[in-house]
Amino acid sequence: MAQQPAIDPMHQFLIHKIVEIPPVNLGGFMLDLSITNSILTLIIGAGVVMAFLALTARGQIVPNRAQAAAEALYGIIDTTLVTPIIGPGGRPYIPFIFTLFMLILTLNLMSVVLALGNIGGLEWTFTVTAQLAVTATLAVITFFSVFILGFIKHGPKFLGIFWVPGMGVIGGILMVFIEMISYFVRPVTLAMRLFGNMLGGHVVMSLFGSFVVGLGIFALSGGLATLGWLGSGLSLTMIVALTGLELVVAILQAFVFAALTTVYLNEVVNFGHGH
Amino acid sequence: MATETSASTEAPAASGGLPQFDFQWWPGQIAWVLVIFVVLLAFMRLFAVPKLGGTIAAREAKISGDVAQARALKEEADAQAEAAAAERAQARAAAQKLAGDARKAARAGIDQALAVEEARLAEAAATADATINAARDRAMANVAGIARDTASAIVAKLTGKAASAAELAQAKG
Amino acid sequence: MDVLSAKMIGSGLAAIGMAGAGVGLGVLFGNYLQAAIRNPSAAASQQTMLFLGMALTETMGLFAFVVSLLLRFG
Repeated sequence: MAQQPAIDPMHQFLIHKIVEIPPVNLGGFMLDLSITNSILTLIIGAGVVMAFLALTARGQIVPNRAQAAAEALYGIIDTTLVTPIIGPGGRPYIPFIFTLFMLILTLNLMSVVLALGNIGGLEWTFTVTAQLAVTATLAVITFFSVFILGFIKHGPKFLGIFWVPGMGVIGGILMVFIEMISYFVRPVTLAMRLFGNMLGGHVVMSLFGSFVVGLGIFALSGGLATLGWLGSGLSLTMIVALTGLELVVAILQAFVFAALTTVYLNEVVNFGHGH
Repeated sequence: MATETSASTEAPAASGGLPQFDFQWWPGQIAWVLVIFVVLLAFMRLFAVPKLGGTIAAREAKISGDVAQARALKEEADAQAEAAAAERAQARAAAQKLAGDARKAARAGIDQALAVEEARLAEAAATADATINAARDRAMANVAGIARDTASAIVAKLTGKAASAAELAQAKG
Repeated sequence: MDVLSAKMIGSGLAAIGMAGAGVGLGVLFGNYLQAAIRNPSAAASQQTMLFLGMALTETMGLFAFVVSLLLRFG
């Protein structure tokens, strides 16, 4: 990269250490468990989830507002996803899907709501879900939990999900490869979707944020450059609109991650019924 | 790739690459995500989901229980209302029967009295008729004698001689 | 042409790939809206499927986006 003066939308994704922890030696591999800004935000997000649910889940028959909010979030997983898609057989997996949903939702919302602080070079928060390491780990956890669950529940018969009936022998064997590719690309798409959405949104917001400041400074030089105020104001309007859009995306991506997990689980739980 | 110390201070333009592909931070993040995910999953499984799901299920059970109870009460009330209506209908039928009997008895009494009175009246009328007829017959008998006398007197006065009884009877005709 | 310029051009070219996702999303939401206007009572029940389709479509565009960013900043 050549000269990149003020506009650097990638700066907000830089990781740096906050608390140094001596590396753990895992059979020759030095695992560095130092608390970075990414990990700190992750811990705060998980803490927020637990605190929210611990405070609001009071178990009252007549709920107050906070309890109704927590139950509405639970209802998204239970009555919107698991019950219609999987059916009653999906109840044991609600904690898993709910964990994914709440963690991703909280991290996304934290990153969007507090992201305005990052535009001015402050670091109020950090977009954990725009770290490919994090989203890939979540996607791999999901994928392998579902895949291994399939073998636990159905044994070797579970490999039958790669077989497309009614294609003949040769066509079937051909389809097995295609099905395997489309199956094993799932964790990649799962990780990439969340990562790309959060990364893209924050990059665009950061770009417009730097336009506000950059064009404003440019306009100070007077003359024809005074028109820069117009661009600066337009960029500010765009940030406001984009923040709204990003809020929707933040909620939608958490929902989509949970929904896809539910769909993948459905193949395992109802294996053999649908085919 | 940036070194550990320079990553926070140096501009990434110098190090290049997406910060996400700086692989020195991957193992730590992966390990922490795994730890936090397991902790959160345990929290959800042991506390949050049973509590939230249990509350929702308890609420649904309470609502359906209350509805069933209300329905049972309503059915009971309906049955009682039906019994009351039946009782009322029975009472009304009895009252109507009683009234009908009374009316019939009264009507019978009136009819009887009426018949007695009519009979008495008819008897009185018949007696009166007979008296009137007798009186008329008597009067009519007198009328014939008077007419004969008058006619013979008129004939005697006009002709100067008395008419015979046969002529008089023939003229009377 | 040096490598940096080629990377910049390639980054721009890769971003074109997002147009496909744009078309796909337009088709998806357009058809959903058309169906929803024809039969509004069935619309709500298909919303989950709409968002699933949106996610799957959008991923294709995001691949192009990530490749573009990799070329631009990588």
